[in-house]
Amino acid sequence: MAGDCSIRALWILNNLDAVVFSRRFPAVEKRWRAACQSENESSENDSVKYTVFSSLPSDSELAAAFSDRKTREGSVRGFGIRVSQSKEGSDSWVDDPITRHIAGFYINREEEGEDNLLWPLALHIKGPYCILILPLVEPRHVKAYTRLCKRSDCGNAVMADENLSSLLLDLPSITGAFMVAHAIGDIITGDVADPEVIVSQSPSVGGLLDSLTGSIGITGISRAKPVAAPVASSVPSGAAAIGALASDIPKSGSRLLDKDALRSFISSSMPFGTPLDLSYSNIFSIKANGFSSLDIPPQDLKQPAWKPYLYKGKQRLLFTIHETLHAAMYDRDEIADSLSVSGQINCRAELEGLPDVSFPLTGVGTSKIETLSFHPCAQVPERNVYKQALVFSPPLGNFVLMRYQATCSLGPPVKGFYQLSMVSEDEGAFLFKLRLMEGYKSPLTMEFCNLTMPFPRRILSLDGTPSIGTVSNAEHSVEWKIITSGRGLSGKSIEATFPGTVRFAPWQSQRSTSFRSVLEGTTDDDSDNEPENANNMVNIEEFLVEKMNKDLPPVDLEEPFNWLAYNYAKASFKIVGASISGVSIDPKSVSIYPTIKVPVELSSQVTSGDYILWNTLGKCPSAVNAEV
Amino acid sequence: MAEKPPPKPVSPRDWESLTEDFRHGGARREKWSCLYPSLAELALSSILKKEFPFKIPLVIFLDEFSHLLFPSNSISSLLDRLIEDLRTTVQSPIDGAHVNYALKEQMMVSTTSILISTNSVETVEVRCTAALVELLLAVINRPNHGPDRHARAIACECLRELEKAYPCLLSGIAGHLWSLCQSERTHASQSYILLLTTVIYSIVSRKLSISILNAAVPLIPFNFPQWILGPEKEGSGIGIGLNYKELRRAMAFLLEWPRVLTPCGMMVFMRMIMPLAVALDLQPSMLKVQFFGMINSFHPVLCHVVLIMYSQFSEAFNEKEKEIVRRLLFVSLEMQQYLVFRLLSVHWLMGFLNRFMEHGVEMEKKSIIKMGFMFYPHLFDPLSLKAIKLDLLAFCSICMDALKAQSGSDMIVGEGKSVVKLFQDGLISVSAFKWLPHWSTETTVAFRTLHKLLIGSPHSEADPSATNKLMESAFYSHLKGMLIDMILEFQRLVPVIVAFVDRLLGCQKHHWLGERLLQTMDENLHPRVVIDYRIVSYFLIFDRIAENQTIPPRKLLGLLTKFMAFLVEKHGPDTCGKSWSHGTKVLGICRTMLTHHQSSRLFLGISRLLAFTCLYFPDLEVRDHARSYLRMLICVPGLKLRGMLNLGEQLLGVSPSSHSESFFSMQSPQQYQDPKKSRNISLYIHLERMIPLLVKQSWSLSLLPLGIGNKSKSFGGIRDSEASIDERELDASIPLRITSGDERVDKPWVPLYVMDSKVSEILEVLRRHFSCIPDFRHMAGIRIKIPCNLRFDSESFNHVRGGESPKSRLHGVEALPALYATVLKFSSPAPYGSIQSCHIPFLLGQPPMSDYIHDETASLDIDATYVGSGEEEAYKAPVAIEFEPREPTPGLVDVFIETYVEDGQIICGKLQSIKVGIEDLFLKAITPPDIPEDALPDYYLDVFNALWDACSSTSNTGREAFILKGGKGAAAINGTRSVKLLDIPADALVHATEHYLAPFIVSVTGEHLVDMVKYGGIVRDIVWKEEAFGLLLDANTSASELNRMPLQLTFTENEDERGSELAIGKRSMGCIDILIFLPPMFHILLQMQVSDVSTLVQIRTDHWPCLAYIDEYLEALFLT
Repeated sequence: MAGDCSIRALWILNNLDAVVFSRRFPAVEKRWRAACQSENESSENDSVKYTVFSSLPSDSELAAAFSDRKTREGSVRGFGIRVSQSKEGSDSWVDDPITRHIAGFYINREEEGEDNLLWPLALHIKGPYCILILPLVEPRHVKAYTRLCKRSDCGNAVMADENLSSLLLDLPSITGAFMVAHAIGDIITGDVADPEVIVSQSPSVGGLLDSLTGSIGITGISRAKPVAAPVASSVPSGAAAIGALASDIPKSGSRLLDKDALRSFISSSMPFGTPLDLSYSNIFSIKANGFSSLDIPPQDLKQPAWKPYLYKGKQRLLFTIHETLHAAMYDRDEIADSLSVSGQINCRAELEGLPDVSFPLTGVGTSKIETLSFHPCAQVPERNVYKQALVFSPPLGNFVLMRYQATCSLGPPVKGFYQLSMVSEDEGAFLFKLRLMEGYKSPLTMEFCNLTMPFPRRILSLDGTPSIGTVSNAEHSVEWKIITSGRGLSGKSIEATFPGTVRFAPWQSQRSTSFRSVLEGTTDDDSDNEPENANNMVNIEEFLVEKMNKDLPPVDLEEPFNWLAYNYAKASFKIVGASISGVSIDPKSVSIYPTIKVPVELSSQVTSGDYILWNTLGKCPSAVNAEV
Repeated sequence: MAEKPPPKPVSPRDWESLTEDFRHGGARREKWSCLYPSLAELALSSILKKEFPFKIPLVIFLDEFSHLLFPSNSISSLLDRLIEDLRTTVQSPIDGAHVNYALKEQMMVSTTSILISTNSVETVEVRCTAALVELLLAVINRPNHGPDRHARAIACECLRELEKAYPCLLSGIAGHLWSLCQSERTHASQSYILLLTTVIYSIVSRKLSISILNAAVPLIPFNFPQWILGPEKEGSGIGIGLNYKELRRAMAFLLEWPRVLTPCGMMVFMRMIMPLAVALDLQPSMLKVQFFGMINSFHPVLCHVVLIMYSQFSEAFNEKEKEIVRRLLFVSLEMQQYLVFRLLSVHWLMGFLNRFMEHGVEMEKKSIIKMGFMFYPHLFDPLSLKAIKLDLLAFCSICMDALKAQSGSDMIVGEGKSVVKLFQDGLISVSAFKWLPHWSTETTVAFRTLHKLLIGSPHSEADPSATNKLMESAFYSHLKGMLIDMILEFQRLVPVIVAFVDRLLGCQKHHWLGERLLQTMDENLHPRVVIDYRIVSYFLIFDRIAENQTIPPRKLLGLLTKFMAFLVEKHGPDTCGKSWSHGTKVLGICRTMLTHHQSSRLFLGISRLLAFTCLYFPDLEVRDHARSYLRMLICVPGLKLRGMLNLGEQLLGVSPSSHSESFFSMQSPQQYQDPKKSRNISLYIHLERMIPLLVKQSWSLSLLPLGIGNKSKSFGGIRDSEASIDERELDASIPLRITSGDERVDKPWVPLYVMDSKVSEILEVLRRHFSCIPDFRHMAGIRIKIPCNLRFDSESFNHVRGGESPKSRLHGVEALPALYATVLKFSSPAPYGSIQSCHIPFLLGQPPMSDYIHDETASLDIDATYVGSGEEEAYKAPVAIEFEPREPTPGLVDVFIETYVEDGQIICGKLQSIKVGIEDLFLKAITPPDIPEDALPDYYLDVFNALWDACSSTSNTGREAFILKGGKGAAAINGTRSVKLLDIPADALVHATEHYLAPFIVSVTGEHLVDMVKYGGIVRDIVWKEEAFGLLLDANTSASELNRMPLQLTFTENEDERGSELAIGKRSMGCIDILIFLPPMFHILLQMQVSDVSTLVQIRTDHWPCLAYIDEYLEALFLT
C-alpha cells in the first residue's frame, strides 16, 4: 500500500545550507525497508544488480549532499535542463525542468557503496528556507530514475519505454509531498493568510480563526500572522518582483523558525507521515481551541473533516471576485496585443449548520472563460459545468471557491504605446501615449495607476513632464504615478502622455563571469568572435543590444524570459466595482439549502499582474496562440 | 570512543542539545552511544514529570530514534515502561498546563510508531502491542464525545497504522469499528472511516473469511488474533473465501461519505477503495460517477487521484479522456497554481497520452492527441513551463506521425498543422534565442526542443527504414536548412549548435544523425561562408567537421586555405595578434584533421595548406608549427602520426592501443634507460650504406695518425717534413709547425724560375683551378655526403625489448614497433672533421619478411606518406653522413644512436660503424663560376693537362704555391706517379669505367675508343679526340716516361718488354683521361691507355698516400 502519499522524512535547511529542522517517520521508513528487502530478494536473479539506498541520512549527511548537489548543479534548484556542465547521473542529465523541483541527492556514506541516490526529494524554496520532503515510493521507481539519469543516450526521449512522465503519473506521493512542502513553507514563513474577502463595512474579513473567536467569544488569541498579505497570498506568481532577477537562492531572513508550531502542525496533519489534512487554519484552530462539550455534532450528517467547527452567530454570505489582469501590449501590426485574466471567487459563508449553497454562474457561459476549477467542497456537475448551478458546501472561514482563466471582455484599461529610442549611447528619448479606462463605465473605478520603466543601466537624470500625474526616478527605474490613490477614476476615460529623455551612466561592462558561467560553460570568447565594430552595426540600438548582451546573465527557468533583455514599462493598477471578465454572481439567485434567507454581499477587484507595455521600437518577446 | 561519556541530560536544554546531536549524526551522535538504554529510561521518566516543558519534542525524539534508543537487550522493559507512561498520560485529566491533548495525542502516535518500528510483535511479545491496541480502542470507543474528538481521531490513526503494520490485526473487531464509524458524526469521522476502510482492505487482501457484522467478540479486552502470530501469516486465514455480501455492504457504506474527507484523506481512501472495488467486483462506473468530478478541483492531489483511477479502470472511463486531457491542460494554464503543479500536470498529460497511445482506443487516438496541440506556451509562462509545453508539442507531433504511419493513406488528420509549422510556432515563444547570447536560458530551451523533436521517436538503429524516413521527412529538411541559416545569420549560436550536434554524436543511437547534420553543414556551409575575420566563429563547427571521418576534408581544407590567404593578405601592424591567433586556430583544425583522418585522404590538401603557411604566413610561430606538422605528415605514417598528435584525449574511432598513449604525455619523469636492452642494439638497428663500397676490406686504419683532435698535427703526421701545403695561419692560437715555409711562400721566389710560355700557361690554369678550392681552415670546406639507410627489424626488436608482442592485439602497421625522435651521432678517428648529427623523427620497424607482402596491402597509409617511394622504403629512413675530409683517406665513421620507443624509454648505443672508402671522396673538379657551360669540357681537359704536367717529376711547378679560395692559404703540388696494368678486355673496361667513373672522364682519345664510349651514351660533355696523333704522342710520351720509371719493372718482369710494348702500341684503341678531385685539395689523374685485351693506367697524384688506395680501388673496380 505504498500508493498513499506517505513521506519518509522532511528537512528544512536555511540559506547557509544547514539543517534547521528535520523529522523522520519511522513507521513509513519501516515500510520502505520492507519494500527494499523484498525488491532486493526479487531482483536477486537480475543480471543488472543494484540496490537502492535503503537508509535515511542524518542531518549532516543530508546537508553535505545538499551542498554537493548545489555545486554539481550550479544552484540550489539546479540547471533543470541538460547543459554542458551536466554530469551523468545528475538531475540535469535527465534534461527535464521538473528536476528543479524534484531532486535526487547522492548521500556520501562510505559503507553504502555507490547506490546512494536519495530520490525523490520534493524541493521547495520559501523565504530563506529550503524545504525537502522525501516521499515514500517503491524501490523500483528509484531504480527507474537511476536508470533515467544515467542513460547514456540523448536524454528523456518521448515515447521511450521508461520516461519521467510515466513515473510521475504513477507517483501521487510526489504530488502529496509538494502539498506538504507548500504547507510547511507557508507556516515557517508565517505566510498563512486566508484568501481575502472584502465586505462593504470593513475592508476585509479575516479567516477561520477570526470567525471562530468571534463566534465562540474567545478573544486574545493572537495569530501567528506576521506578514500582512494585502492581496490573495495564494497567487504565487504575483509575488515575484517583475524585472528583478528572481534569484534561486533562498532569500535571507532573520525570522527564527518556530519549531513548536511546525512540530505541532506535523503531529496533527501527518502523525505517521501520511498527510491527513494540510489546512493550517483547521489544525491551528483545533490546537488553539480544542473542543468543548458544547460543540454538538449535527444530527444525521457527518461533519466533514475539513470543517471541524460549525459557525454560530449572525449569518451572511460574502463573495469577492478577484481578478488579475495580465497583458502584453505591443502596439504593432504583426503582433496582436494579448490580455488575459486569471480570476478567482473568494467566499466566506457565515452560515450555521452544514448547508449547501448554490448559484448559477453568470457570464461563465460565454466563451470568455477558458478554464474553471473548484474548491474540493464544490460538487461539480458532471456535464457542462457552464450551464448548471454550482453547488457547494462551504467550509468555515475564507476560501477560494473557484478559479478561472478568462479573456478580458472589456478593452485594456491602460491602452497606448511606449516608445524608447536611444539617441546616443547614453541617452534615450521616450514617449508614452496612453488612454486609461477607455470604454469602462461606472461603477468600475480605477483606484490608482502607476507605470514603471525599469532599466538595467543606472539612471543619471530624467527630463520630461507628463500630462498628468507625477514622476520620480530611482537608480534603475522611473516611476510615473498617473492616478494616485484617493482620487479614483470612474465613469470617464483620460488620456496621458509623457515625453521625456533619460540619461544613463556610461556603459560599464560588468563581466561577472561567475554569474554567467552557470549556463555558459567554457567559452573563451576573446576578442576574436567580436563582430567587427560599431560601424558594422545598423544603428546605435543594435550596437547597444550587442553590448548589453555580452553581460546578460541567463535567467532562471522560473522566469518567462529574460526581462533584462527588453525595454518595457509595467503598469500596476487596481480597479474595483466589477470584474472585467464578465464573471459575476447575482446575489438574488444564490440559494441555500436548507432554505434560509441570508444577506449576500458581492465585491470585485481587478489588479494588474504582468501588465507590460513593450517598447514599440525595440525587441519584444511574443508567443503564438494556438487555434483551439 | 575513548572519551569520557557525556553527562546524562537533565534539563530541557540538555535534552534539546542531545536531540540536535542525534539528528546531526556522525560523531555527535556517536558520543551518546554508551548511554543508549539509559537515555530512553531517562526520557521516559522525564515525560511523566510535572514540570517539564520539553515533553512533546522528547516523545518525538524517542519516536524518531527508537531504533537506537531501544536496543534489543533492554527493549522489553523499555516498551513496558513506555506503555505504562502512555496509559498514565492518556488517563490523566487535562490540566491545561502539563497534560493537554497535544501531549496525549503525541504519546499515542509515538508509542504506536515505536512499537511498529521496533517490530515489537516479533521482538518482544504481543502483550505490548495488545496493551496498546486495547488502550487505543478504549479511546476511540466514545463516538461523538465532545472535547476529545480530535484525540479520538488520532487514536483511530494509530490503530490504522498498526493495522497497516500487522494486517488483519483488527479484523476480528471489524463489526465494532463499523458501528463506531456509523455513529461518529464529528470531524473525526474521517479517521473512523479510514480505519474501517483499512481493516476491510486487509481482510480482502488477505482473503480472510470473517464476518464484519459480527460484534460478538468484545472490543475490550483485546485478543491478539492468532493469524498474525501463526506460522503461515500469509495464509488464507481461518475460513475459505471472502464474505462478499457483507463486504459489499460495508463498501456501500463507505462510498456514502467521500465528501467528508479532506483531499489528503481522499487520496488515502481511494488508494484502498480501488483495489477493493476490483476484488469485490464492483462496477467501476460507480466509482466514476462518484469520484470523477474531482478532476475539476484545483487541488492537485484530487486531480491525481482521478488520473490513477483512470489508469486502473481505463475501460470504464473511456470517453472521459478528452475531459481529462482538457483538464490537465487547464491546470497547466492556471496562473494561480504553484509552478510545480503546472509542470506536473504537463508531465501527467504526457504520461497519460503515452499510455493512451499504447492501450487506448484506436479510433480515439488521433482526436485525443490532437488536443495536445491546443496549448502553446503562453507569453508569461515561466521558461520551464514553456520548455515542457514544447516537449508536449513535440510529443504530440511524434505521436501524430506514428499514427499517420500506421493508418497509411489517411492524411487528413493533422493536416494544416505540419510539424514544421508547429515547431516554428513553438519556437516563437523563445524567439529571443536567436539574438540573445548563447548562454541564455531561452537558447538552451529552444535547442532542447529541437533536440526533442528530432530524436523524439524511438527509431532504432536496427531499422534502417526509420532512419530513411527521418531523413526524408519535411521536418528534417527544414531543420537542417534552419540550422544552416542560423549559423550564417547568428554566429553567436554556433557554440549552441555545436553542443547540439555533440549531444547527438555523443549518443550511441543518434550518432549517425549528428554525422548527417555535420555532413549537411559541410556541404552547405562552405559555399555560403564569406571569407573574413568573422569566419573564426565557425571554427567550433569546423573542428567537429574535421573530426568526422565520414566527411571528406577537401572542402574544409579549401576554405581554410582561402582563409589563410586572407589572413596573409590582411596582415598588418594592427592585425598581428589576430593573425597569430587565427593562424593558430587554423592549425588546430589541421591537427584535428591529422589526428582523425587517414593521411592519404588529407595529403594533398593539407600539405598545400601547410606549405603555404610555412612559406607566407607572417607569424613565425604559426609558420613553425605548420612546418613541423608538414614534416610529420611527410615522415610519419598515418596511425603513428595520429598517435603522436593526440594530446592525450581519446580518439574517436581509434581504438585505444599502445599508440594512443600519448607520445607527449610520457615525458621526463618516466624516462629511463635500460642498459641491458640498449646493449645490443646494433643487432636490430642497422645503419647501412646505400651504395656499397667496392673495396671490401679496409686497411686504412694502419695509416691513420693518432690524435685527430688537432688539425695541424694530423697534417704533420702524414706529411714528410717538406710540407707540400703552405699554410698561412692568421690565427696565432693554432700552432703551425711549418711557419718557416709560410715565410718562404710569403716572399715567393718566382723570379728565379725560368718560365716558358707553356709553363706559365700551366701555372695560369692551376692558379685558376686552386683559387676555386675552398680553404677548409677558413671557410666551409668541401663536404662529402654518404647516403645511408636506417632501419630496424621489428621481430628482433620486439624480441630484445621483451614484453608481449603488440601483434597479438594489432594488425598491420599498428603492430610494428616504432622509434621516435631518433638522433644519430657520428664520430670518426679519420680526419673527417666534426660530423653533424642526424635527426629522424619517426621510423617504423621492418616487418618480418614473411608478413611483408601481406602488410603492404594492409597499410595503404604508408604508401601515401612516402610519395613515390618503393615498398621497402617505408621502413627505412634515409640518412646522409656529411663530413669535410681534412685528408683524402678512407676510414670508419662510428655511429651512436639515441632514440625513444613508444613507451617513452630511451634507447641509446653504438651501431655498426660505416666504412668510408676512397671512392666516396671522389669529386669532380671544382669549376670557376665564370666558365660557360659549353666550355666546361675544355676547361676540365686543361686542368687535367696542367695537373698532369705539374705532377710529373720534371715539373717546374714544384716550388710554386697556389693560393686557395679565400686568399689565406696556399697549396703546392708535389706530384707522384704510378702505373697499373689491367688485364681486362677493352669493353669490360669501358663498361666499368662508364659505370663508376663516368663523371670524372675529361677526354677520350682514339677513334675506336671514342666510337665505343660516345655511343654508349653514358659519358657526355667531354672532349673527344679522334685523331691518332694525340694518341701516338701520348703513347710515346708515356712509353718514354715509363722507361724512366722504376716501377716499369713491375710489369715488364715476366714478359717480353718489347713485345708487350708493341702489343700495347699495336692494339691501342685510345686513351681515357680521368680527373678526380680529392677533397680537401688533392687530385688523382688517370690516363687509361686502352687496348683490346689490357689497359695500362697511368696514375698521377699530388697526394702520394692515396696511391695505395687507388691501386686497390682499381683492382676492385676492374679485376673482380
